[in-house]
Amino acid sequence: MRVVSLCCILFALCGLFLTGCASQNLSADADPSLNLEEMSSFYVQRLPADTRGVGKLIAAELLSLGKEASHGDTSTVDPDVDAIVTYVDKWMWDITMYMIELRVEIRDPDTQYILASGQSFRTSLVRKSPEEMVKEVIAEIMKEAEGL
Amino acid sequence: MKFRQLACRFSSVLSLVVLIAGCAVGNTYNYATGNTALPIKGEGEISVGVVDAREYVLSGNKDSSFVGLQRGGFGNPFDVTTTSGNPMVEDMTEHLANALTRAGFDVTEIRFSSPDNSLILTSVRQSALDKNLVLRVREWKTDAMMKFRLIFDIELSVHDENGVMLASVSDHGDEVLSGASFESANSQLSAAAFGTKIARMFNNPEIRAALTN
Repeated sequence: MRVVSLCCILFALCGLFLTGCASQNLSADADPSLNLEEMSSFYVQRLPADTRGVGKLIAAELLSLGKEASHGDTSTVDPDVDAIVTYVDKWMWDITMYMIELRVEIRDPDTQYILASGQSFRTSLVRKSPEEMVKEVIAEIMKEAEGL
Repeated sequence: MKFRQLACRFSSVLSLVVLIAGCAVGNTYNYATGNTALPIKGEGEISVGVVDAREYVLSGNKDSSFVGLQRGGFGNPFDVTTTSGNPMVEDMTEHLANALTRAGFDVTEIRFSSPDNSLILTSVRQSALDKNLVLRVREWKTDAMMKFRLIFDIELSVHDENGVMLASVSDHGDEVLSGASFESANSQLSAAAFGTKIARMFNNPEIRAALTN
């Protein structure tokens, strides 16, 4: 009887601690005046610390959605683009490295004002590949901007 | 023997305190700095001030430097305060003043000693400037445990040199910003959320017209 109680307590404790490994959040925010349909060209500005090519993934995702998208450093920004895309990616180690958080911001090229932003947060047990994280964040931004 | 028992009890209590409190004690967030980009470009002089109208601060239940809660392993709350130790609205004023300066304005910061409207308007009139911004914070606090929540209720208004209100916009909500992280990441996220909320208000057509006319 005592062993069973002990097992139950251990089980409950394990459950309590493991919930921290399965937390996720996907959200986006867009300026009410934003019309993403009208925007056709985007420049993804590479985060200086990005050595994993996340900027390229974002540009590729925008291309797959039928938008014109280029990527590069701050010095090579095309002044005629409709929007500049910036991002912050955070990584964590749990047996292997994985992306725990990705935040993408769509900015006005003149003022740098954030027209729309989206973020995905996924801990180890609900981790996704960087490609999937990029896809879901861009989709969430599009959804929010269209007011769906 | 007695000493060993005492030491054992003491270490058990200490372990329990550490387990319950974890990294939750003494967290501070920095609202004074931030890289907020406003959607407007302006010029000329402008005054800006932030009013703390949070009920629990006015009643004295919380210090004016209170910015939210960090919860320990069992949901037990600990207060989070400003990194500067200054009242939250002072840090927000600095944040806002920096953003307006980057947008091209010549900014004068105003400090309000009370949320009383007549006193606020008196301070605004004393600035003797054509454009004056007042941000009233009725609620602003974060709550971090597994997720990072923001509860807010703010109102931005533009006044002329006589204190007459030219435009006003408000926003409120209870949002999950992200998964809760460590102190520094939470601090950056809160300051960025403040910047985003404020910038959205500046893009309101009435506010834009009042500031650019």
